[in-house]
Amino acid sequence: MRQKPWVGLLMSSGPMIVMIVFIGLPIVLAVAYSLGDVLGLNRAIAAVAQHQVIVKHGLTLKVYRDLWANAGIRADIGATLWVTVVAVAVVLVIAYAVSLYLRFNHNRLAKVLSAIYLIPLFIPVVIASYALVTFWNAGGFVDALMAHLGSQGFPGLSYTLTGVVIAQVWVNLPFAILMLSSGLTAVPDSLIEASRDVGSTFLRSIVRIVLPLNILPTVIVLTFTGIGILGSFTIPYLMGPTAPQMLGVATTTYYQAFNEPQQAQALAVLTFVLAAGIGVIYVWANVQANRREGIS
Amino acid sequence: MSSKAKPFIPLEEGKRRELMPSLKEIRLASIRRPVSQAIGTLLIVGFLIFIVGPLVVLLTWAFAKEWFYPALIPQAWTWSWWRIVLTTSHLGHSILLSFIFAPVVTTLSALICLPAAYAFARYSFPGRRWFMVSLFAANAFPKMGLYMSMAGLLFAFNLMGTFWGVVIVQLISTLVIMTWIPSAAFRSVPRELEEAARDVGARPWQVFWRVTLPIAWPGILVGLILGFLASLDEAQGTFLVGIPNYITMPVQMYTLVGHYPQQAAAVFAIILTLPSVILLLLVRRYIVGGTLAAGFRIR
Repeated sequence: MRQKPWVGLLMSSGPMIVMIVFIGLPIVLAVAYSLGDVLGLNRAIAAVAQHQVIVKHGLTLKVYRDLWANAGIRADIGATLWVTVVAVAVVLVIAYAVSLYLRFNHNRLAKVLSAIYLIPLFIPVVIASYALVTFWNAGGFVDALMAHLGSQGFPGLSYTLTGVVIAQVWVNLPFAILMLSSGLTAVPDSLIEASRDVGSTFLRSIVRIVLPLNILPTVIVLTFTGIGILGSFTIPYLMGPTAPQMLGVATTTYYQAFNEPQQAQALAVLTFVLAAGIGVIYVWANVQANRREGIS
Repeated sequence: MSSKAKPFIPLEEGKRRELMPSLKEIRLASIRRPVSQAIGTLLIVGFLIFIVGPLVVLLTWAFAKEWFYPALIPQAWTWSWWRIVLTTSHLGHSILLSFIFAPVVTTLSALICLPAAYAFARYSFPGRRWFMVSLFAANAFPKMGLYMSMAGLLFAFNLMGTFWGVVIVQLISTLVIMTWIPSAAFRSVPRELEEAARDVGARPWQVFWRVTLPIAWPGILVGLILGFLASLDEAQGTFLVGIPNYITMPVQMYTLVGHYPQQAAAVFAIILTLPSVILLLLVRRYIVGGTLAAGFRIR
């Protein structure tokens, strides 16, 4: 590292200033507003809002308590957590299957696979959601295909939470496979062969040798995919059911349809707290990895 | 089993028999292998259909005149939806608008973030790692909540409904990409090379221009292109801040999904997707090569 820390500070100040003014400050305002503060820069948003909780002195958790008392919101939180956990699990399983296949096979199918898996990364999320809705909908292509194969009564997965999971998996797979693949490339062949030579089965050498060396990429996939899905809007908005909604959609509904920005902000803060919980795992894994490699 | 020769270790008789595959096992393996291979192939084909299927169907819709359930291909074909979409003036206007915003946002973001990316990679200063993490943490706050509070701020600065208001809203979704990925690229430049250049008398800016930048370029390019696409695809914030003057392509897409015939939405979707596909194909080998993955490691 070069010395002259003030040069580094100066050069890095650009995104920091933008972040503090246009992200950090709004977050503080949002948290304060959700706790009953309607003064200062929150005055504009508070002027036209309905069902506001206002405190003269100090802060209150009443907005959160009221939301929690609402069974609909509890269902939304449940749906959000369910979609996030299931989608992340499915992404991880498929991504591992694909990247392990790519790591140990070099046939034509592997070539096709490695060209194809990246495609969702190229597609804007709005378009992806739209394409997936059309594909999985009742009366859509999968439905037609099922009918041709002789199975009637495909319910259609669009506008269901399962549909949301499918879309989240579709959108998040490329990043996951990329991360895991580049981690797996770093595991030397000799190590795997050595474990095979002493009699391990393929599965055993994967579980005992490859996975432990691939922890950081796995954690990165887990956390980034998890945080992305938790706060997602477009996919559940286009693909999801009317109720229960994921929190990203509920936030927008409370703001735009109900004109209750305070409740909307409280939901956003709640999502952020959940995301922060996942983020801690990411930071912890990085610290561990740096310590192992001797970077202070 | 691996084909490599193994070191010979004498074993007692029982152990040796245990290690040698029996005839039955060999026969089983010769059946099991094709079966497991077939299952594997089937799974991969399923995966490919899962990924590509929805896009192929969308593409087909753009040329469909009639397509009724349960036909697997349209009953009649037409080009006319392309003409309709391209000549509908407000749709054409959105396309133009998107391609004005995205370059402006990308340029501005590069000017702000690239020096920071370099500093994160090459300078040691207090709070360096904390900065990088907080940049990411700030992005974990749900966008809608952020835009709601930002609206108050933009009102205060008189930026609501203005060009620069939209630029700012799109800019903040490029910050992480434009800082993290190029920063990893700068870090991957071997310091010995820079020092060698300095030793033969190159000035600092020459070292940067001739040595550092060319080596880090793939990572910077990936950052620039992903930043461009992030700006191009941003819909929620652009909608809140830009309405009614600045309706970009993805914002338009939300209305199209519900209110236009399937075919019009399909055509518009393809037009919106084309730039992403072209740009990402340009940097595909860098992305697969690990440039993107490297950006997600905090050092």
